Amino acid sequence: MAIAEGRREVAMQGGELPEILLPTNCPGCGIALDTEELRSHNYVCVNCGHHFRLGADVWIPLIADSGSWQERWSDVRSHDLLNWTVPKPYQETVERLLEDGLNEAVRTGTCTLAKKPIWLAAFDFGFVGGTLSIVAGERLARGMEQAASSGTPYVLVSASGGARMQEGVLALMQLAKVNAAVGRLHASGVPFFSVLTDPTFGGTAASLALLGDINIAEPGAAIGFTGPRVIKQATYADLPPGFQSAEFQLAHGQVDMVVPRTELRPLLAHLLEMYS
Amino acid sequence: MSVWEIVELARHPDRPYSLDYFRRLAPDFIELHGDRLSADDPALVGGVGTWHRRTTMFLGHQKGRSLKERVARNWGMMHPEGYRKALRLAHHAAKFGFPIVSLIDTPGAYPGAGAEERGIAAAIAQAIMEWFRIPVPIVAAVIGEGGSGGALGMGVADRVIMLENSIYSVASPEAAASIVWRDNSRKVEAAEQLQLTSREIVGMGVVEEVVPEPKGSASADYDAAARALDEALYRHMKPLLDEPESDLLQHRYDRFRYIDSLVHAEPHFGPKID
Repeated sequence: MAIAEGRREVAMQGGELPEILLPTNCPGCGIALDTEELRSHNYVCVNCGHHFRLGADVWIPLIADSGSWQERWSDVRSHDLLNWTVPKPYQETVERLLEDGLNEAVRTGTCTLAKKPIWLAAFDFGFVGGTLSIVAGERLARGMEQAASSGTPYVLVSASGGARMQEGVLALMQLAKVNAAVGRLHASGVPFFSVLTDPTFGGTAASLALLGDINIAEPGAAIGFTGPRVIKQATYADLPPGFQSAEFQLAHGQVDMVVPRTELRPLLAHLLEMYS
Repeated sequence: MSVWEIVELARHPDRPYSLDYFRRLAPDFIELHGDRLSADDPALVGGVGTWHRRTTMFLGHQKGRSLKERVARNWGMMHPEGYRKALRLAHHAAKFGFPIVSLIDTPGAYPGAGAEERGIAAAIAQAIMEWFRIPVPIVAAVIGEGGSGGALGMGVADRVIMLENSIYSVASPEAAASIVWRDNSRKVEAAEQLQLTSREIVGMGVVEEVVPEPKGSASADYDAAARALDEALYRHMKPLLDEPESDLLQHRYDRFRYIDSLVHAEPHFGPKID
């Protein structure tokens, strides 16, 4: 009981969450959505528990204590290395997303969570499917190196389709670059809590996302290496319902727990307490 | 030669596979099997042999030549057990101070339900992380297809080289076409965009050297291809054998940590250091 009581003192949001684009009805249960109610409920449907996908701009205030966020390396930009032109020029895609206010597939920085300092990195699925790019890899690796040297716990929130095709083999190399840093983080004795949200696939699942000391998945999140469409194409197999869901990964030993978003922040606060 | 012709050469069924090279590099090669947990993955072969008067651990993807063997080898696509087997043999090599040679030749890790159920993503993630802690010299070579995370899971090394007509890519051209266009028949266009040939990869600073193949490609003369690969592998291995362990691991870290530094040199890309 002490644990539950301890957790209850920590709010489910660090600060006020921004508004996000929502459908009029919940895709989970069909009820009409009340935007304000949803916003105060971490964008989890109050009726059926459907978890809406969030960008880094929502994850940061959800986790960080209000006013504590200090973003790092936000000026590092991606650019077209391979002269990628089809189906559309990569440079244009990146510039349009920057104009839309997104800043690459990973944003990182320092903050406090229930007054405890942490490094936080959040993927942004809205930026080319949250794909691991040179910039994303650089922000992750630098943050992990600093977390390791300063002894600061590292919290990751992932939502990613994998490595970014448009950056070719250099995107693939980010798996090694980031995992080298994950290894240093582990060697330093700093705790690494990995939160896996919908969807986490490919090179992101095959690098840092599943290497947390504790892997926490959101209910219903799709998590895996190869996406279901490609598996069906390659093997002609019928995939059972719930294949690659968070619950499937829990049953197969890949994550430690499946935790609703409304309970995430108090849980992280408690873990930080236990692992410090 | 077109990009697609290079892709076809890299995948050619007559191309020498890992075992063809191992038997030429180390005629006393002894194969070792199993991950000591549950299985032996035939898509990844490993074993010890005497190479330049030194016991060496050889690891490599193995495709099959006949249909029967291709099925048995799963077309060189590893399951999670393969990565666990590779790590077991890497730790074995570390115990005895054997250097490691890793040959890469895979379309990718196996994209099937069973691999997912047994944790293929975590197996690759663990392997990539663990290679940075193996305290013996590692030289890797892409000898055919270097496909995606399935290849990189065997490709963290102190030096990485490529045979001339091999490819290295973030995803197979088919998978990239399926991801970008949702249409895997656009593989030729995807291959051209991906910059996956040895010339392009060495230009990006991702591999140290491109090893020329004999006239008519490696398929035409296995012995000559093996001699060229042997010479290049050992030239890269030799200086590593004298490196103190801590330097070796630090340099391996730096090799991948700053592998995109040619790109970072772009002035508007932001400073490298904090």
